[in-house]
Amino acid sequence: MADRVMLTIGTKKGVFVAEAAKARRSFALRGPFGPGIPVYSTLIATKGTPTLYASSCNPFFGMKVLRSTNMGKSFTETKSAPAFPKDDGRALINIWSIEPGNGRKELWCGVEPASLFRSQDGGDSWEMVPGISNHEHARKWNPGNGGLCMHTIIRDGNRVHLGISTGGHYLSEDGGQTFKPSNTGVGAGFQPDPYPEYGQCVHKIARHDDAPGRLYMQNHGGWAAWTGPGGPRPDIGVLRSDDYGHSWRSIAKGLPSDFGFPIVVHPHDADTVYVMPLEPATRTCPGGAPGVWRSENGGDSWSRLAKGLPKKESYFTILRDAMTIDDLKTPALYFGTTTGQLWIGREGGEKFECLFDALPPIHNVKVAVV
Amino acid sequence: MGTVATVTLYLPEPLRTYGGGIAELPMSAGTVQAVLDDLERTRAVLYRNVCDETGAVRRHLNIFVNADNVRDLGGLQTRLKDGDVITIVPAVSGG
Repeated sequence: MADRVMLTIGTKKGVFVAEAAKARRSFALRGPFGPGIPVYSTLIATKGTPTLYASSCNPFFGMKVLRSTNMGKSFTETKSAPAFPKDDGRALINIWSIEPGNGRKELWCGVEPASLFRSQDGGDSWEMVPGISNHEHARKWNPGNGGLCMHTIIRDGNRVHLGISTGGHYLSEDGGQTFKPSNTGVGAGFQPDPYPEYGQCVHKIARHDDAPGRLYMQNHGGWAAWTGPGGPRPDIGVLRSDDYGHSWRSIAKGLPSDFGFPIVVHPHDADTVYVMPLEPATRTCPGGAPGVWRSENGGDSWSRLAKGLPKKESYFTILRDAMTIDDLKTPALYFGTTTGQLWIGREGGEKFECLFDALPPIHNVKVAVV
Repeated sequence: MGTVATVTLYLPEPLRTYGGGIAELPMSAGTVQAVLDDLERTRAVLYRNVCDETGAVRRHLNIFVNADNVRDLGGLQTRLKDGDVITIVPAVSGG
């Protein structure tokens, strides 16, 4: 019986694990594991015996994948990490996403430079997925400030949605064999053509099983005041698709900023979606007062959730994978900051409380009830 | 065909887990590149920590022959002589 709430917290200095009873009154912290090494992605795989994964992105000795089969009490390296074929010419720089596949030990992994890998044995061996990794566009994508990263992998039957910064949204409808750019309505602010075929700086994509065809996207917004070629492009930052990602429309009206990194869907209501607006220039909380913004009608309107959060002098950033939500009956939202705070938003974000105040800068937060 | 020298490869602590736990590996090689080639053949996991998929030495690692960084010598083609100590050192960086 699943009765423990498990958090993985990937930081600049390793991965931490926090565990609580279902009431989530207090969390016990363990770690850091892979100490001193940045962790950009984690996964709590819940099929069968829960297994925790973390990418340990060692700037000196290369990429590793860490695995724990004892609920995060210890981690060991898998036998190998994703690697490009020797004659490919590319070298792995970072591991940005680890997601579960169909089988108990199947993993999908998005890396920098933007490419996709798959493992059938829990991360001990990997094969590159050529349909996207060798796509005719792959050598034309450009790195954003965070690098040329494949950060989002969403699987929906035979559909696979990928988020690439800066490559845009790519869609496969044949189980990952072939991919096409699918960015109609997805704007780009950093080039003269406001709506290119591909090359957008997608920050994160989310979906819900109960709303077939619907996807939410946090794109790189903040271009309303652009006066150069192509003209201003307001509200391109927060988007929604209702046709499996073939086309997108803005749902940014009502937000204080359309710039941000994470986007999260409520586990029991596909119409409820959360974003964390940031000032586009500084990528910090508007006015130094952080707030999560929630829509309960699929993005038609938004309201601010900030009870318990600092009211001023808070200039942190919440990165693309640093906000998540659990799937308990009354879910709690979680977000980690670049200043090392881990917050819980109880009752779906109605009331925030700082769980840990002085962790290393937080890259990602994942949660599962195990 | 160049001369093959008997040398010692010194591993920093983080790499020893990939090198059987020992700090010093005796090797026979004529150049620094030959040392790396030997690692690729015989200790692939250790090699992958030192070089990326393209065969390039990882960006934040320095390789010394005795007291000299190979970039100030002949790079990876630096010739080795008996008794040389090759040391792999992570750069001082980060925060």
